[in-house]
Amino acid sequence: MRRYILHRLWQGAVAVVGALLIVFVAQRLSGDPVALLLPMDATEADFEAMRSALGLDRPLPVQFVVFLRDALLGDFGHSYLWNMPAMDLVLERLPATLELALAGLVFALALAVPLGVLSAVHRGGWIDNAAKLFAMLGQAMPGFWVGLLLIVFVAVQLQWLPAYGRGTVGHLVLPAIALGWYPVAAMTRTLRSAMLDIMQSDYVRMERAIGLPERAIVWRFALRNAAVPLVTLIGVYFANMLGGAFVIEVVFAWPGVGRAVVEAVFARDFPVVQAGVILAAVIFVVVNLIVDLTYGLIDPRIRHE
Amino acid sequence: MSEIAPAPLPGFGVGRAMRRVVGRGFPWIAASILLLVLVCALGSPLIAPHAPDAISLRDAMQPPVWQEGGTTRFLLGTDNLGRDILSRIIAGARISVTIAAYAIVLSGFIGALLGMAAGYFGGIVDAVISRLIDIQMSVPALPLAMLFAAVLPPGEAMVVIVIVLTYWTWYARIVRGEVLSLRERDYIALAKVAGVSTPMIFLRHLTPNILNIMLVLATLQFGSVIVFEAGLSFLGLGIQPPQVSWGGMLADGRNFIEVAWWLITVPGIAIMAACLASNLLGDWLRDTFDPMRRQL
Amino acid sequence: MSTAQRDLVGGILVALAAFASVRSTEAAEVVVAFGAEPVQVDPTRSSAGVDQYFTNLFYEQLLTVTPDLERVNWLAESWNVDQSGPDTVLRVTLRPDVRFHNGDVLTSDDFRYAYERQSDPISRNAGRFRYIRDLIVLDDRRFNIVFDTPDGAFIPLNLALFAIPRRYFEEVGDAGVQTHPIGTGPWKFVSRTPREELVVERFEDYWNPAAQPAAERLVIKIIPEDTTRVAAFRTGAVDWIDAVPPALIADFETLPGVRVVSLPAPNNLFLNINVTDANSPLADVRVRRAIAHAVDFDAIIEFILYGQGIRTAQLAPGTLGYDPDLAPYPYDPERARALLAEAGFERGINVNCYNLTTPREPYIKEMGEAVFAYLGTAGIRCRIVQLEYGAWINLARVNARPVMDGILSTMWGQGLPGDPTDAWSGHLHSSGDGWGPYSYHVDPEIDRLVEELRTTLDPDTRERLARELARVKHERVAGGLPTYRPMITFAWRDTLEYRPWPGAFWRSMRDIGPARSAEGIR
Repeated sequence: MRRYILHRLWQGAVAVVGALLIVFVAQRLSGDPVALLLPMDATEADFEAMRSALGLDRPLPVQFVVFLRDALLGDFGHSYLWNMPAMDLVLERLPATLELALAGLVFALALAVPLGVLSAVHRGGWIDNAAKLFAMLGQAMPGFWVGLLLIVFVAVQLQWLPAYGRGTVGHLVLPAIALGWYPVAAMTRTLRSAMLDIMQSDYVRMERAIGLPERAIVWRFALRNAAVPLVTLIGVYFANMLGGAFVIEVVFAWPGVGRAVVEAVFARDFPVVQAGVILAAVIFVVVNLIVDLTYGLIDPRIRHE
Repeated sequence: MSEIAPAPLPGFGVGRAMRRVVGRGFPWIAASILLLVLVCALGSPLIAPHAPDAISLRDAMQPPVWQEGGTTRFLLGTDNLGRDILSRIIAGARISVTIAAYAIVLSGFIGALLGMAAGYFGGIVDAVISRLIDIQMSVPALPLAMLFAAVLPPGEAMVVIVIVLTYWTWYARIVRGEVLSLRERDYIALAKVAGVSTPMIFLRHLTPNILNIMLVLATLQFGSVIVFEAGLSFLGLGIQPPQVSWGGMLADGRNFIEVAWWLITVPGIAIMAACLASNLLGDWLRDTFDPMRRQL
Repeated sequence: MSTAQRDLVGGILVALAAFASVRSTEAAEVVVAFGAEPVQVDPTRSSAGVDQYFTNLFYEQLLTVTPDLERVNWLAESWNVDQSGPDTVLRVTLRPDVRFHNGDVLTSDDFRYAYERQSDPISRNAGRFRYIRDLIVLDDRRFNIVFDTPDGAFIPLNLALFAIPRRYFEEVGDAGVQTHPIGTGPWKFVSRTPREELVVERFEDYWNPAAQPAAERLVIKIIPEDTTRVAAFRTGAVDWIDAVPPALIADFETLPGVRVVSLPAPNNLFLNINVTDANSPLADVRVRRAIAHAVDFDAIIEFILYGQGIRTAQLAPGTLGYDPDLAPYPYDPERARALLAEAGFERGINVNCYNLTTPREPYIKEMGEAVFAYLGTAGIRCRIVQLEYGAWINLARVNARPVMDGILSTMWGQGLPGDPTDAWSGHLHSSGDGWGPYSYHVDPEIDRLVEELRTTLDPDTRERLARELARVKHERVAGGLPTYRPMITFAWRDTLEYRPWPGAFWRSMRDIGPARSAEGIR
């Protein structure tokens, strides 16, 4: 188990360095990284200072090491629009994004668990097919479009829920639906097939033979076991939702990391874009790491490997 | 694997109707939608009733033909600049399909090549490529897109680059797994002994065996590329006006949600239909080629 | 519980209840939403018009303009221009007992400090001080501004200086001012979350009780998206919004309990045209006239802006130099093509077109797209570059890189009551040192006219000069092609009482508070 943890930590570290490499390459791709990192009206002296700080006269690998060192020291550049460290700017938006992604996850699970279980129990029945159709629509309707439709119909016309703002649970509902619908399909499908396997296992046959009520078998015993593969999926989709929240945040004017990054792209405030992307990658890696480790704890086969 | 045996049909109509949509037979509806999208894409200048970017302010905000005030001149209505929505949807199909085609071919090619190399050579090659895949997959697609939007001039090329960067890993992972198992087959070993060159083995023996999977992946990717491109263009980071894109149409229509519902509904339906069709066809292909449901 | 205890508890409860009811009726927190957001809260470092949205809450000037568009003395008790000696001298006497939010008394030395900061080349409005030799402090309440040459733009700018507290600014530095601005204005800074909200509270020691807000606390939310801002208003999350989308104004006017007002924004939209490169087709006046003829601005105002714009040939009515006889170039695509051909471009030209997008002015993005589409049909083919406000502020400067090199949808406020001198110094005069760093025009004769207008003080002569310059500018399509002055629409619930002041593009938020009952005294 310890070796497994160490191995996964190492892999995670490599992935983060890799992500930094991608950001670094993108920076150099632009032709002049200095122009990216300084405001457009910076003086020639500013340019010179930045050039030497980045070590642009030295070979690329050295430049990357300088970049890595700055990143490790927590220096991801300075937002020239807001005149503050770029990473602070995105970090202060992180709670809002986490909140939204969590809400999206809760919504996805609230749909996927009953749908997955019921469609396995009533395989081929109308619930099964309806769940499939529903999940397919969720995968085909882009979240931002769902968001727009929700704003028009639920917020503006029916005035049931607020379309804007953060604070109460009510504010979370619409963006959470828009964000959480997409993973419902995959979650339902995974849970359904796991449930199918378990429902045909010897344990379940035995429990049926004992005369346990079917409802207890399905919801207590089978679901608990079928949830194991779902855990990985939850991790993957949670990490994805953190990234995918970028568009939803723009639709609902949600004050999260994504909106900050999109605004920064338009304002040509590259340090903020860079900080936001690095943050997204680090979170992605960390969430996946946590999921894998949890999974290792749940699933004995992995523990012993 | 427990779901090969078909379940008994339920006795009432709703279930049967839904089964027809999501069931196992060849998805005729999905295939026709995709065909329609392709026809629009190929023949857009011929089919479109108006020039997609021709503005006519006096015709602004016309509702679709079936709504009061609509005219047959603009079947799906007009936007706030008086541009014909139908023509813009058709022109948008061209952009979406073009981008999807480039993105799929490039990411498929790169992914398959790297995947084959990793699976076939193993060892250090495999380790490096697998790590590359891991790294690439540790940066979620949208933030990556924003990074590139910030450094590259926006437009089709940028969108294609971002999609290829995101999707090649998809092909690479699956092809690698496939080749790993193929490598052990007798005929490959035989070819090696017979002195067939490595490129020849790739071309003659490996490629034919992964074509099916590639086709499935490409079909599934089509829908996902369309949604991705729409998202980027919606944010204003993808296709730039005056070029038309479905995502851009949604973004433009956003400010008029309350006065012109068709501006955000019609392009949304186009995206959904194309994506749904590609998913359904992809699922069917997968079930057909790969009934054992390996890791697709 | 003894009787005494019970009484005590009861008393506390009553007191609490009374306190609570006082809070609920009078604490009057007003929540409003702005579409656009300033970056700077320091008026001496401001670079964009939008910054005034916030600086105007905290900082004041020597003069101000009332809702009736009358320029009145504000922090200045009196002032006069003395041209009896060899130099022009502007003598100012400050109002007594004006205090900053931190309790410091405003003195002449604070204006001396403002002069130092604002004329520092690092300040983007340093050009406004190029004719001033010095600011001399006479005593705590009196100072003289000594001019090398008279400056006609100085008075329309409300004497250009901002009241900033020297002691506080020097103590906390630029970064400190950014995190907690302090001025003499009617609102005190409480907190700010960039891109989310600004919270301010009423300054109780404000020097002018007659102009004090009725609300005690003001929360300004930033909601750039039109749809979301409107939804926030409709669902009651905010009670006041700016920039009501033109498409919805008619609908808003029918909403019960909602007041709507549309006002001419003290802003002027125009297409700036870069002629600094003599080899560019745009350097040919015929091409610029072709641009002017190619676009149907009347249709754009009617159909895209729902009528919310005032077409301008050069200047809007009420502005110095406004000439009712100067008509805009008529929409005439044939003439446009002919002019292009005459200039040797029978097959049209390709140019970069920068489309400014900002929630500041309604539908400016859509307007730009329409303009560029019109240009395209006349043979002026645009490669459109979308430009967000923040990027635009940087790009529009000439010494920025990369330089804007085509047609730029842009704007320049001329104030209310309007005076173009400062704006023309900025974008018409050929960018001399400290003039306007934003100019893309080169024309020595026009430069001379701008300088003459700027250095003249006599109102009648200025009117004549401004008209003359407007005509020349119009004929040569110089310093860009003016298009329209936008209307800006505000909506608020009638539980509020609100009167717009022209400062900060009508967003000065001075006269806002809970509505008094009908018999209440005001």
